[in-house]
Amino acid sequence: MTESLAFLLAGTLAAATPLLFAAMGEVVVEKSGVLNLGIEGMMATGAVTGFVIVAQGGAPGTALAAGALAGALLSCVFGALVLVFLAHQVAAGLAVGILGLGASVQIGKAFEGRTIAPIPRIDLGPLSELPVIGRALFGQTPMVYAALVSVLLVWWFLNRSRAGLVVRAVGESPSAADAIGYPVAWIRFAAICFGGAMAGLGGASLTLAYTPLWADGLIAGRGWIVVALVVFGAWRPGRILLGAWLFGAVSLLELTLQGIGLAIPSQLLSALPYLVTIAVLAIISRDPRRLRLDQPVSLGRTHVPRA
Amino acid sequence: MFKNPLLAPLAGALLGTAALGGAAPAAAADPITIGYVYPSPAGDVGWARELDNGRQAVEEALGDRVTSVVVENVPEGPDAARVMNQLATQGADLIMLGSFGYMNDGIKLARRYPDIDFIHASGYQLADNFANFQTRNYESAYAAGQAAGFVTESDDIGMVAAYAIPEIVGLINAFTLGARSVNPDATSRVVWLNSWFNPSKAQESARSLISQGSDVIFSIYQDTPSVVTVAEEEGVYVVNTSSDMKAYAPEHLLASMQIDWSDYFVAKVQSVIDDTFEGDAFYGGMADGAVSVESLSEDLSDEQRATVEATIAAIADASVHPFTGPIVDQSGETRVAEGETLDDAAIMSMDWLVDGVQTRLPN
Amino acid sequence: MTIPVPAPVLMRRRPGYRLVARIAPSRAAALLVPCAAIVLTLLGGAVLFALLGQAPLAAFHAFFVEPLTTRYGIGEVLLKTGPLLLIAQGLAIGFRAQVWNIGAEGQLLLGAIAAGAVALLLADVEAFWLLPLMMLAGTVAGAAWAGIAAWLRVRFQASEIIVTFMLSSVALQLLYYLVSGPLRDPMGMSFPQSALLHDAALFAPLLEGTRVNTSLLLAFGATAIAWLFMQKSLSGYRLQVGGLAPAAARYAGFAERRAVWIGLLAGGAAAGLAGVGEVAGPLGLLQRSISPGYGFAAIIVAFLGGLNPLGIVPAAFVMALIYVGGDMAMVSAGLSNAMTTLLQGLLLVSYLACSLFSGHRLVRTA
Repeated sequence: MTESLAFLLAGTLAAATPLLFAAMGEVVVEKSGVLNLGIEGMMATGAVTGFVIVAQGGAPGTALAAGALAGALLSCVFGALVLVFLAHQVAAGLAVGILGLGASVQIGKAFEGRTIAPIPRIDLGPLSELPVIGRALFGQTPMVYAALVSVLLVWWFLNRSRAGLVVRAVGESPSAADAIGYPVAWIRFAAICFGGAMAGLGGASLTLAYTPLWADGLIAGRGWIVVALVVFGAWRPGRILLGAWLFGAVSLLELTLQGIGLAIPSQLLSALPYLVTIAVLAIISRDPRRLRLDQPVSLGRTHVPRA
Repeated sequence: MFKNPLLAPLAGALLGTAALGGAAPAAAADPITIGYVYPSPAGDVGWARELDNGRQAVEEALGDRVTSVVVENVPEGPDAARVMNQLATQGADLIMLGSFGYMNDGIKLARRYPDIDFIHASGYQLADNFANFQTRNYESAYAAGQAAGFVTESDDIGMVAAYAIPEIVGLINAFTLGARSVNPDATSRVVWLNSWFNPSKAQESARSLISQGSDVIFSIYQDTPSVVTVAEEEGVYVVNTSSDMKAYAPEHLLASMQIDWSDYFVAKVQSVIDDTFEGDAFYGGMADGAVSVESLSEDLSDEQRATVEATIAAIADASVHPFTGPIVDQSGETRVAEGETLDDAAIMSMDWLVDGVQTRLPN
Repeated sequence: MTIPVPAPVLMRRRPGYRLVARIAPSRAAALLVPCAAIVLTLLGGAVLFALLGQAPLAAFHAFFVEPLTTRYGIGEVLLKTGPLLLIAQGLAIGFRAQVWNIGAEGQLLLGAIAAGAVALLLADVEAFWLLPLMMLAGTVAGAAWAGIAAWLRVRFQASEIIVTFMLSSVALQLLYYLVSGPLRDPMGMSFPQSALLHDAALFAPLLEGTRVNTSLLLAFGATAIAWLFMQKSLSGYRLQVGGLAPAAARYAGFAERRAVWIGLLAGGAAAGLAGVGEVAGPLGLLQRSISPGYGFAAIIVAFLGGLNPLGIVPAAFVMALIYVGGDMAMVSAGLSNAMTTLLQGLLLVSYLACSLFSGHRLVRTA
């Protein structure tokens, strides 16, 4: 029983990590008023880039940075489409997402099915051996802690920093920000690049720390879960963190429940995380005023800059 | 390659004709073309890897009498028909279909092209030019199960499986029966991934089972070393299928249930060359060399090792059959009476789990 | 904290060009934009092929020309065009109203399940009304699945992007459950698939020597309905005159709720019907893998067609060609399956970029 609990706690934190990185990026992007649905492709390019570098002998640090860079580069295409070519954000996100997925499979062709040594977990001796919470709190890979730090940093950025305030202003009313003189397009572009980099980092942490191998389909829909998490968490980093933990916990709970041998069809258990997400989403969104307070007003709308 | 845009299609046509050359009868010098269709990439290990090893064996044995065209990662479903058809129209003489999901379209294609021969992995359709092949993996599962029964201290075996198809159900049963034949208290539990490919989930499943007390993990048809590496990391024993994964778990690999298609593929290709192809069902086991137990762990005591090896020898010479009665299922019903054995048809359509498996079937 | 205001910035005058919005979308652009997008995609594809060490022209031939040179190939392209066209028409109705249905894949599965279940339950029926009944069941099932998202959006403001996508995953598990148990073929050696559908439950073949069947007509029917809706209904007319109005493009005069319901139900119904077409068509039974991603690909088709019923037709054809060409090129040119995805991504990106010029033009400044 305690072992199962330990597994759930540790596993949830680890499983949430790639989601958190990408979600922290996406929340900044959405706060600036842009909806990026191409996260899956950006995570994929980050994942394959990081993997390929380590598979060829590179250091994990380099690989993570390269993964972030790959995600950022792909997001530049998205940024160009949305900000320069004034394309519809939904379409542009999907297009770039597909491009990223295709590119990642092609790049990773020669490495399909390979494994690499994962980034090792830290070992704090007796602390890591504590029952139930030892592994969860003190025996994770550095990526898990980095993800939690990123949540703090993004929270601080959005709520306590001047730059974050500008980003939020752009998201609330781009025309007002434009009128004041802010370069709306550049601010959004910077946000998009940050979002892409974080998505790439999330993908890289998946292949370098969580499941250290590469194959087509490794991202397995996480990019869409990230989009859901941002809405879930009402664009607040703290809530997004809770949402990521909830989703991760329910996904792992499915496996634990299967192992117990209940007479519930396993397919129903596999569907459980999605059903729970829908239910919680409905509960969270039901107050329209609350939603309007948190949702950036201009989210998804194309802003045409003044001539 | 060609500066003149007109030359490229011409060259293509010439190459196509050359490939078609194999279809002409009697000319023994013309190489035959073999198309190989894999459901996943032929990585370092796994199901497609072993199919590809079979292909390499064919090329080694028959050299320039064969030309191979390999198509990897072809998803099951109506799209696969297109790939198969393309192989057919490009002049293949033999097409190897590497997954059950290709069966329906494969048999339709076989009817349309009676001059092309097909070999299809698992499934149950047959025709004059359509053969199928399966492994008696349950034989190696039984032997490996005995090893698991010996080493388990918690008497709890965890299994990671994709879907409850008969072949996998058979493996679960054989493994459990094997374990209980040397350790009557051993039990097993299964986590169904509901996906053919999800290495992250496979790893999480393994960890979940370990946290619930399993100290031996049976990784069923995972094409990546995902589960094997987790077991090594957590310090529990692991048995895997298809390929030898000792390299991924040097300390804790209990056994690998190896598949080897070399002999079968070479024989079938030879029959195409000799024009003696038969649309038969090949159910290859230890006796045929299609199935074997590799890398049996050094941690077994001499006595335990001897028992397992004796079992293997007995299965290979048919003196022991893993599914020999009395076998009772989960609900207490006796499925196989004392002294009787299950016939092949019953094994290939198995949809019940033996007593000792804690998990119910998904339906 | 007050919003910091930057120091006044002088309006920089740069000589050269600037973008000016058009009053109405250019007619010429409607044709030029897709052509330019295709050209750009071909160029990008050529670069990709070259990078992979393939002769670009040979690869192009394998991809785009070869499928159209044989009866079988043309048949396959038509076979794939059908569901893409059908679903995209339904989705476009919703997209035009800013209702984002990302879960057409799941709605397709529900349609397939419903039709398959009807056919299996009525396996002894040979009457002519069986197939229409299946089509009705599939359409209703798909629409209902999408309707869940509509209800959640209307009642709880839950984002339909997320709900439709999540429901797709749920639909897949439902399919797995059904083909492993309740709908499994008792004669099928316990494999997770249903019995074969009998002839009265299948669409009739349309083109001899190909897999094309009469369900293709459904796609054209849907196109006609969508076109009529755009042309004849007041809301459709307003949309056409106003161009692709972004942001505030609700069906004027309709409440937002009605737009959500119509948008999602239309997409769900179309996807469900496409599911019937698959099950009663090339598949002929229910199994674990029913759709090769039609629901998702149809989203791309809808955008490529400019969310216009007529534009969606060639868009569906081009996408189908890329799919089929990709499958064939895997064998004839040794290309990987990633090429299909890459080319589709390139096509949509090029199209979106070029679309700028249908709504804007470059004006020379002093």
